[in-house]
Amino acid sequence: MSTTTAGGGPVTTEAEAAAAEQLRSAVARQFGRSLHIRTLDTGSCAACEQEIRMLAAPHYDLHRLGLFFTPAPRHADLLLVTGPMLRAFAAAARKTYEAMPGPKLVVATGACALGGVYQPDAFSYGSADQVLPVDVWIPGCPPSPLALLHGLLVAVGRLADKVSGLSFVAGASS
Amino acid sequence: MPLWFVRGLRRGVVTTRYPDRSEMSARDLPTPPAFRPGALTGEIADGLVAICPSRALTREGGTLIFDVGACTACGRCGEYAPGAVTASGEFELAAARRSGLVKRIGLGAEVTR
Repeated sequence: MSTTTAGGGPVTTEAEAAAAEQLRSAVARQFGRSLHIRTLDTGSCAACEQEIRMLAAPHYDLHRLGLFFTPAPRHADLLLVTGPMLRAFAAAARKTYEAMPGPKLVVATGACALGGVYQPDAFSYGSADQVLPVDVWIPGCPPSPLALLHGLLVAVGRLADKVSGLSFVAGASS
Repeated sequence: MPLWFVRGLRRGVVTTRYPDRSEMSARDLPTPPAFRPGALTGEIADGLVAICPSRALTREGGTLIFDVGACTACGRCGEYAPGAVTASGEFELAAARRSGLVKRIGLGAEVTR
């Protein structure tokens, strides 16, 4: 993709990176205050949906963090995708994503959406990132409401991605 | 009865303070495994790969590759090899890169032999 400035000169990669970073921080600032979530079930067993539903319960109360569920993709900033992305659902998933106003985030939720449970076959793509541009991955089967909260806050840049630095070696500090 | 429930009844507030404060109920959650490389032999690693129902584990020579994203925290690996596998206790597992969830664990016992 070739990009040019208003003056016609080529955009340097440094300028692009600076602009991208500026946009990213502006988006994080906006999304950090209020974010609307649309859930998308692409063939999950509904265990993930049970946990997502618990986020709205008094114990987790995601509204205190400025996060809200919306039934309309056109009102949504973030798409919370569950399930192994059935081939029959891919067109609907793409349309949902396209219907969302930008800037938008996609969060793959649960082991199915991350490619852990189903292999790609005649019925499913096997993971959400085969069809949608995923920004944050939340493991779990299902992810607990706390894990979901952490993932949503990672997506909006309010918490750091912690797992990338972990070794999963017992006794290691990181 | 979960402690948070009792505390909530006493204070009259049930809502968690996460992420500003750590959440005690997280300790009761099933979590992905952590491995003890010193106790991992090739034989045990092959057994773990065979027993994992979600293909979260694969072996590549002297390395056990653990895909946290594929793990369902079912605990079968911990039952199969309690000496080499323990619960990690980590629940904040969201990653901004898919590759950040793939962990390479050296088979310590294999290397020293």
